[in-house]
Amino acid sequence: MESWIGLGIQVGIPVGLLLLAYAVGSAVEGRHYRSLRARELRSRSFPVLTLRAPPADWRIEGIELVSGSVVVSLDYFKRFLAGLRLLVGGRIASYETLLDRARREAVLRVKEDAFARGCHAVINLRLETARLNRTLGSEGGTAGVEIVAYGTALKLARRSF
Amino acid sequence: MTFEPRTPREDVNVSPVHPLGEAATLVAGIALVVLPLALAVWAAVEIGVRFLPAGLEARWFADLAPDAALGGDPRREMVEALVGRLARHWEGNPYAFRAGVLPEDAPNAFALPGGVIVVTSGLLDGVGSENELAFVLGHELGHFRHRDHLRALGREAFLAVVWAALATSGVGSTLPQTVSSLAERGFSRDQERAADAFGLALLHAEYGHVAGAGGFFTRLPDAEGGVGARLSSWVATHPMSAERLDALHDTARAAVYAEEGTQTPLPATWREAAQ
Repeated sequence: MESWIGLGIQVGIPVGLLLLAYAVGSAVEGRHYRSLRARELRSRSFPVLTLRAPPADWRIEGIELVSGSVVVSLDYFKRFLAGLRLLVGGRIASYETLLDRARREAVLRVKEDAFARGCHAVINLRLETARLNRTLGSEGGTAGVEIVAYGTALKLARRSF
Repeated sequence: MTFEPRTPREDVNVSPVHPLGEAATLVAGIALVVLPLALAVWAAVEIGVRFLPAGLEARWFADLAPDAALGGDPRREMVEALVGRLARHWEGNPYAFRAGVLPEDAPNAFALPGGVIVVTSGLLDGVGSENELAFVLGHELGHFRHRDHLRALGREAFLAVVWAALATSGVGSTLPQTVSSLAERGFSRDQERAADAFGLALLHAEYGHVAGAGGFFTRLPDAEGGVGARLSSWVATHPMSAERLDALHDTARAAVYAEEGTQTPLPATWREAAQ
């Protein structure tokens, strides 16, 4: 009898933590997505392009390097889901939203950086990903990822578009 | 060149999967594969050990407890001799038993595959008479008689498969290891009762009475202050409840064993050896 209660506690605690992590994680994610959509909508007239050279008819007065960096980590629940995926393979959907948010946030920061510097467009946008290794209590695994977006911000003589 | 500002579209990079649904599907799917596999391994071991001759068992598991690992306690040979005397009353005993002493304060005893009984030095320090020790040893012999020590292998194989799956997925670290030991504890209670009955029968056959059978357990709490901690490891695998003591009495009464008798004292060198 006692051992069943003990078993219940020992299984219940991790399951409870998982559900808690899911609840907190999805609330945070929902809020972040709402913020992303609103800011993307607001800044939609600010072009961020992957072109290496500016269009010939743009009259450029100044250029600057701009960057936006986002460091994200996994929550307990996403890690659990990804762990199960390790066994059977397939899309790690729980990481897709995480990385999607990080990329969009990084690009938005590039825009915000460029806008704050009085620029009108960003070209040659690049995205890079770096894995952060865990340092304390390491058993492999990862502490998180950094996504850096960078590009060349252009100050234009007059809005050419 | 023209740039047309557009409303950003929703991302194509995110799968439209609900995380909880995915978790449920994955857990169920993995359980569906791993559990039958683990059960099959369990069943294979359970059935296999029934046909495993004791001689082969001893040979297979010889490495598990080589002579050198049986310990240098001077009481080891006396324990082994006592095991030998008790085992004579087991008709058709296929084992050549060996005994080992583990230097550890917590009183405990184990039956290892291959016919090895290991007792801790804490147990040897705690017993008050030869009869008390004989009951503990007889109990372990009971595990050999019912081949419980091999069935534990089946359980362990089952748990090993489950843990391997969990460890591969990285989920193992989120679940406490003790779940497995709890499961083991739950499994073995009936086996403990049956081993008790066998130990009692051996005790009766050797001494003509079963005095001292439960003595080690009832006496210890008085003799040692704060014994709870010391007993914990024994209790964990050998629940010695009032209920189990009652069961001992019932077994003794049903088999018409004399519960009173003169207990054989331990050799004079016993205490010296403990120092």
